[in-house]
Amino acid sequence: MTSAEIEVIYTTLAQCIARVGEPKVPLLLATLALDLLSDQPDAGAALARISQAERLAGL
Amino acid sequence: MKTALPIPSDVPVIIAGGGPVGMSVAALLAHHGVPCRVLEADASWCEGSRAICLSRRSLEILGWVGADRPLAAKGLSWVGGRSYFRGTEVLHFEMPSEPTERFAPMINIQQYYIEQQAHAAAVRAGKVDVRWSTRVGAVWPHASGVDLEAHTADGRSHRLHTDWLIACDGGRSTVREQLGLQLEGTQYEGRYVIVDIEQATRRTVERLAWFDPPSNPGSTILMHRQPDNVWRIDYQVADHEDPAEAVRPENVLPRVQAHLDMIGETAPWKPLWISIYNAKCLTLKSYRNGRVLFAGDAAHLVPIFGVRGLNSGIDDAGNLAWKLALVQQGRAADSLLDTYSSERVLATRENIAYGAKSTEFMAPPHRGFALMREAALRLALAAPRVGALINPRQTTPVEYVDSPLNEPDEGRGFSGGARAGVPAPEAQLHTAQGPGHLTALFGSNFVGLYFSDDPHRPVAFRRAAAMRRSGAAGIRLVRVAAQGPPDADTVVDDSGQAWRRYDAAERTLYLIRPDGYVMGRWRGPASVSVDLDGVLARALKESA
Repeated sequence: MTSAEIEVIYTTLAQCIARVGEPKVPLLLATLALDLLSDQPDAGAALARISQAERLAGL
Repeated sequence: MKTALPIPSDVPVIIAGGGPVGMSVAALLAHHGVPCRVLEADASWCEGSRAICLSRRSLEILGWVGADRPLAAKGLSWVGGRSYFRGTEVLHFEMPSEPTERFAPMINIQQYYIEQQAHAAAVRAGKVDVRWSTRVGAVWPHASGVDLEAHTADGRSHRLHTDWLIACDGGRSTVREQLGLQLEGTQYEGRYVIVDIEQATRRTVERLAWFDPPSNPGSTILMHRQPDNVWRIDYQVADHEDPAEAVRPENVLPRVQAHLDMIGETAPWKPLWISIYNAKCLTLKSYRNGRVLFAGDAAHLVPIFGVRGLNSGIDDAGNLAWKLALVQQGRAADSLLDTYSSERVLATRENIAYGAKSTEFMAPPHRGFALMREAALRLALAAPRVGALINPRQTTPVEYVDSPLNEPDEGRGFSGGARAGVPAPEAQLHTAQGPGHLTALFGSNFVGLYFSDDPHRPVAFRRAAAMRRSGAAGIRLVRVAAQGPPDADTVVDDSGQAWRRYDAAERTLYLIRPDGYVMGRWRGPASVSVDLDGVLARALKESA
């Protein structure tokens, strides 16, 4: 994916978060995450992403 | 108080505002032979550093009037920057640059030096009358010119007439207000305090950004070095902070001290200038309103992130000066000025699009962008591909897509190079005066670049040489040879840079506008017999 495409994703998701409103944000992001993680080649890859996200969120 | 001299009412162009854009327009107009008068409300050059980043393109434009060398010599050049999240580097970017280039991609220099050098260039060019402490009041535009009122420091008012009025009077333009015109667009809430301090340092010159630094948790801090041991520090203030309180020294200085401590800059320091800023993406719909033209902040306000404010204003000056000179001298139809507006409004739209993206990152306008930024900064530690989101998107010259001045490019046989509407690429060359650069040929008139190793001048050149064209409407014909000796009309591209960047084959012709933009190009047999006179006559809508 190009940098320009990553920017489009970033902006679209930011605006989507603002649209759904604060109470629904965790559900929106959990739905999105589960969709993307289930698309990974195997469970190991998906679990590694989960632990990475947990580590980064703890910073 | 000195009594102001009467202001003669006999110049074809009056420029409202003697800031960097107004002074640049004045110098460029004078360079093209147009007398003008600058009316500046302040008594002299600006105070405080204000705009500090000058792009390569801006230096090229200022080079047309000889202001490039002193600025490049005084300024601090830089090619890249670093961004940190907490204490960890998450992005190191570099702008395209190479050792043989004419100018660095960016220099840092205080705005008053830019104004001073543009003013000096205007004075050198002659024909420019600068009136300090002279404020524009009422403006009455009409079909054949503009009447206006100027107020001098002695309290007197003067009624002036001019054929053309250029409004370079800044974000709160009096001329714009007098014409009842409104800027349109978006203003962002997030505020940044801007502080200049004097402190000696040996740090590398680069753009530095800290997100959520330990020195100022939750804030974003930018730092740039300037000449004379000056640091520019910008930091984001919290949404709930009162702007008037935020700029009080007792609130500013501890934050600066904490950050200097954090990065290990321990030399003694003192504050020089404090201001506050919020991002704006605003523009007029058109930069031409009959006989009134708008340039710089009077025409458009773009966010500081990406340094597109002053630099786009100087590009306005470079685009406007040759066109207005040709119209004023009767060498082009006044519709040429409509292309100033359409090209530069397009540039503003692009600057606003990039500026808005940078602002959404640097001063997130809502919870969605704030949350995504938190995510992107963290993810950048693990996935460098998202680093592009942190990149400040520095200014680059804009392509004038679909400009009516562009010659059609289709079917001309090029697979690369620079099509009509893009800035003519730079290249290092040998000239009769020694090593030089291709862009140094631009700025005075049209330039025909003929890429060939055959020293015989093509028919197109012989015809063009016979044309009685002068001033900015003239064509300078230059052969770009791959080898051999340079002479007055031949430059030698022994490194192959120019041939490569212009996608040139034997017998390739480029027509370059006085502002250094490609207007048209031809290759092979067609290039030999192009009717350059006809091409220009059409573009300028010259009357027979």
